[in-house]
Amino acid sequence: MIHNQTPLYFAGVDIGSTMSKVAIIDDEQNLRTAVIGPTGAEHRRRANQVMIEALGQAGIPLETVGYIVATGYGRMNVPFAEQQVTEITCHARGVMTLFPEAQSIIDIGGQDSKALRVGNHKVLDFTTNDKCAAGTGRFLEVIAETLDLPLSDMSQISLKSSRPVQITSICTIFAQQEVIRYLSEGTDLSDVLAGMHDATASRVVRMARRIGVLPPLVFTGGVALNPAMVKAMEDNLGFPVLVPSNPLITGALGAAVIARDKYHQLAARGRTPAVNARRLEEVDLFGGGAGK
Amino acid sequence: MSLFMGIDIGSITSKGIIIRENQIAAYATLPSGINYRVTAEKLREQLIASPGIDPQEIRAITATGSGGSQVRFADYQASSLVCSARGIIATFPSARTVIDIGGQSSQIISINERGQVIDFVVSEICAAGSARFLQVIARVLQIDLQDVGPLSLKSSNPVVFTTGCAVFGETEAISRIAQGVPAEDILAGVHKSIADKIQSMARGINLNPDYALSGGGALDTGLVKRITDTLDVSVLLPPSPQLVSALGAALVAEERWSS
Repeated sequence: MIHNQTPLYFAGVDIGSTMSKVAIIDDEQNLRTAVIGPTGAEHRRRANQVMIEALGQAGIPLETVGYIVATGYGRMNVPFAEQQVTEITCHARGVMTLFPEAQSIIDIGGQDSKALRVGNHKVLDFTTNDKCAAGTGRFLEVIAETLDLPLSDMSQISLKSSRPVQITSICTIFAQQEVIRYLSEGTDLSDVLAGMHDATASRVVRMARRIGVLPPLVFTGGVALNPAMVKAMEDNLGFPVLVPSNPLITGALGAAVIARDKYHQLAARGRTPAVNARRLEEVDLFGGGAGK
Repeated sequence: MSLFMGIDIGSITSKGIIIRENQIAAYATLPSGINYRVTAEKLREQLIASPGIDPQEIRAITATGSGGSQVRFADYQASSLVCSARGIIATFPSARTVIDIGGQSSQIISINERGQVIDFVVSEICAAGSARFLQVIARVLQIDLQDVGPLSLKSSNPVVFTTGCAVFGETEAISRIAQGVPAEDILAGVHKSIADKIQSMARGINLNPDYALSGGGALDTGLVKRITDTLDVSVLLPPSPQLVSALGAALVAEERWSS
């Protein structure tokens, strides 16, 4: 079956350490659908699942997607993608599509954090941390598990604080003990939680300052959904931040926008990808999948 | 007869020792818990209730460890560096380097023939390189800490952890378990990660033989082997490495009281 009509859609697949995201856009760069699913303990095997769900939500067949770009740390395990692009590039592109005036980006994900300076549709400088859990969403998760509180409650309680404590430990494991000690001494939970959000923000902001972040600054990643973290970031940066309505999908969106560019570059040379050859099959990461 | 007490409030375990004429007359250990002050009191009660101990004869008490400052009844405070050094030189007069693997920090201490600290490096900023990493992983694997050493020694293919971070290490360990990697390989991988961190710390300091180990981490035979292999040195191992710092604290109490 040969499709001669121009495909109408482009997809970005962002396989993160904890979440897999798919964004599908049309040729006018309007977001048609965005799906977020867990990457899961089995890791990255679910790329196809999230893609199938996204196509289902958008109500379009795979063949109408002209080009697919995969990004994120599991990007090599997306066999149905035409190309892999680094998350730094995709993130920047996604943010600049939503906020053309952005000069800086801070992304805090489940297992890493990054800061970027952007301009003229380009990444000017960036820095990342994926070696230490401090200053990542993992820190907040560990504390939430320790206190047996959902992350959303933790955020709301934290916002009621009037006198945040100072968490002196950098290491997540030491901070966990510090939190327990504060609570055992009778310190108000809201003050402890506010101190913890502040510690996370201060760690990330210190890293971001190394590349000289400036406003307008866009705050992305799953942690940007946490209002207490948004406040802590603004307090530490000393200026307000912009948060996209869906801060988790900027990487996938950027990948989709890049997919659209690639498609048109190829189409101009009369060489579009063989969309019918793609197969949405499960990849066995450990046994060596088709993406290897 | 004069008795001297050393109290070492560690991040995980608290240790107490009473010495009489430079010999251990009584010792006790307790989990540190959250309230160090209460733990220290309990430790003192246990020590003075030991057979043959007359509380009236206790001349001086030194507190040390990460919770040492919480020990209200102590006459003196001393750093864990000083106490580990004194405890080791009393045990092994030939030792010139102490590698202390504590609950949440490791330290390498260069000492002279009198057990004085000449130089040191401490890993205290994070749990990487400390026994805490091991504790986290042992919990994930549901293995008792005392079984970690013997089990890890069976490993032929240690897992390579991508970072030294204990929190990320836990996540990695969980994925390895899901892949069916045997527990011994995961534990041996943690040992390797800790040994690598200690090796990188050791680059920052001039080291001389003999080398001696101290701290609760040295109770783990697998970790001891990995550290000696990685540093390519032979080490002196005290019979109760976790008590070394408390012993040193008791010796410091005697020193300061006598002077």
